Amino acid sequence: MPTLLIRAATILDPQSPFHLQTKDILVENGLISQIRHRIEASADEVIDADGHFISPGWFDMMSFFCDPGYEYKEDTLSGMRAAAAGGFTGVAVFADTFPVIDSKSEVEYLINKSRGSIVDVFPVGAVTKNSEGKELAEIYDMHAAGAVAFSDAPKPIMVAGLMMRGLLYVKKINGVIISHPHDDTIAPGGVMNEGVSSVYLGMNGIPALAEDLMVVRDIELAEYTGSRVHFSSITTREAVDRIREAKKKGIPVTAGVNPVHLVLDDSSLAEFDSRYKIFPPLRTKEDIRALKEGLADGTIDVICSAHQPQNQELKEVEFEYAAAGMINLQTCFALANEALAGLLKPENLVEKMSVAPRKILGLAVPFITESAEANFTIFDTTAEWELTKEAILSKSGNTPFIGRTFQGKPLSIFNHNRLQKL
Amino acid sequence: MNSLSVKHLLGIKYLTRDDIELIFATADEFKEVLSRKIKKVPSLRDTTVVNLFFENSTRTRISFELAEKRLSADIINFSSSASSVKKGETLIDTVRNILSMKVDMIVMRHPAPGAPVFLSRHVEASIINAGDGTNEHPTQALLDAFSIREKLGAVEGKKVAIIGDIRHSRVALSNILLLKKMNAEVMVVGPPTLIPNYIESLGVRVEYDVAAALRWCDAANLLRIQLERQEIQYFPSMREYSLYFGINKKLLDDLDKEILIMHPGPINRGVEVTSEVADSKHSIILDQVENGVAVRMAVLYLLSGNRMN
Repeated sequence: MPTLLIRAATILDPQSPFHLQTKDILVENGLISQIRHRIEASADEVIDADGHFISPGWFDMMSFFCDPGYEYKEDTLSGMRAAAAGGFTGVAVFADTFPVIDSKSEVEYLINKSRGSIVDVFPVGAVTKNSEGKELAEIYDMHAAGAVAFSDAPKPIMVAGLMMRGLLYVKKINGVIISHPHDDTIAPGGVMNEGVSSVYLGMNGIPALAEDLMVVRDIELAEYTGSRVHFSSITTREAVDRIREAKKKGIPVTAGVNPVHLVLDDSSLAEFDSRYKIFPPLRTKEDIRALKEGLADGTIDVICSAHQPQNQELKEVEFEYAAAGMINLQTCFALANEALAGLLKPENLVEKMSVAPRKILGLAVPFITESAEANFTIFDTTAEWELTKEAILSKSGNTPFIGRTFQGKPLSIFNHNRLQKL
Repeated sequence: MNSLSVKHLLGIKYLTRDDIELIFATADEFKEVLSRKIKKVPSLRDTTVVNLFFENSTRTRISFELAEKRLSADIINFSSSASSVKKGETLIDTVRNILSMKVDMIVMRHPAPGAPVFLSRHVEASIINAGDGTNEHPTQALLDAFSIREKLGAVEGKKVAIIGDIRHSRVALSNILLLKKMNAEVMVVGPPTLIPNYIESLGVRVEYDVAAALRWCDAANLLRIQLERQEIQYFPSMREYSLYFGINKKLLDDLDKEILIMHPGPINRGVEVTSEVADSKHSIILDQVENGVAVRMAVLYLLSGNRMN
């Protein structure tokens, strides 16, 4: 795209000298060439962004694209389309694939397959071979091929010594291990949060304890090794408290949250509806309050979609047999915007959905400033819209939100000299 | 009031106190019918009922089958193990196949909690839950309370101790929900590993000492203990369980009152209860079985009537 003129956008970029200012922005050949109060130049494309925000392109730190192996749920192309529709210009995709992304060839496959897209895909390699939690995978080689972090999610790494050696090992590359905190010996076969709801529904509950124990363990391991742990998506009050304390002590831990855990609690399961079956499970209203506090005070660094497609055949069965997961790339921002209205300002949301994830992964953060490469998302925090089945770009439709009205949406994204209006 | 507030019997959760009383009153009438020489009534003539059992069951299935026959229903039986269903045809497909042959009512036992609720979203026929995993077993709770009512005159105000594996028991959950709806007092008793966290939220007391529980209660409902079914070890041995939670004659002799001993069956003699107690005058275990048919007739009759309305 030769030239693009954006009119009257409010810039949200804490690193930019234009932060919080409403400006016209001219983009030429993929670069931001001018930011002025009023730009009179003509352009091939003009976007009227009056009343809208522009921020560094959003980055989703946790998605499952199921490619290779489970392309009937999602593949790299459909995942990228869903990510673009959700306002993201970058996505970290996890290794829950077949074969597992545990060597450089799978990393290269994903990078090659996503090349040329408006959405950048960053593979997260497995920490252990085949994500079995037994032996370390070839982490340096995957890193050299482009893996940005390492995680066995959605599986936990149950053996503490193995996690410790993984953390030590990644120090050479200043890497980060993404912990999916869950001790699976606490409640094997658990399908929902343990609490008043699980007792009433007669379902096998997973206590918050299962998450808390792993958070505590991995904080200790991060302290001992001096290596970085990122918690993929925390859900409990105790996890927030422990991470807050750890950060105060200077232990190198960071944490993410899935906004679904900010809007839904375990009472949603009253009808045994498997669309609400996710992992980690929906918790309680008290946990929701704690997660919001953690976001507000900076304990939780990242908002991520935890986009996990599951095909209808795996989802529309008895609750206990249903696969866990929810697609969320297209609803992530709106859910966060709604849950955090009045608690986080739009610029804080942007920090958690764009800046922090890239910093944790050691990626360059796009700037909204003159002569910077243009990689941005234009969005509206007030627009109302309804999610329709037809609008879902994911191959899977596993979301309970079809027909629901949302507030706040991305309007367009720009990356690699390409504009996509949403 | 002469009809239920629900279209299905998915669980005690979904019933009102009026529903429960209506089922009891109707079961009273059927119990009288069952004492006649000709035990059959035409209430469900031209109604076809399928008994769908995705889990082994002898007594519940026989009880339902007999109730259906006494009501003159046409019956088909379908049994399958859960594992084969998990791999093969889906539950919805299985049921839709059967319903397309013009079946009116479904009695279903299934190992997954909530399976009947899930099914009710996809089919039109009335569904009776004959046990869904660790969730509910509503007709068992109804017949248990019906038996207490018969022996003690009422359910309200009575004290019932449920002893055994509370964590994995659909009988326990349905009993708790029903007894609380009828304003009875409930205590759950067992090794702490078999009592779920948050159980107090259902309004029950928790007790680990079986002698204390027996002193407190008017009726003790003993649940079947199965060591082999558990993937995780919750208690060390059947021997230790029976030593600390089994009901023997001495425990009953030490009481200054008579209590009812109940059991949903099948009994592990010498584990939950000694033979001496199971066969004693305290035991109403066989009355429960007898009442089971009358209660299930009442449920089938009321739901079929509702369907025609």
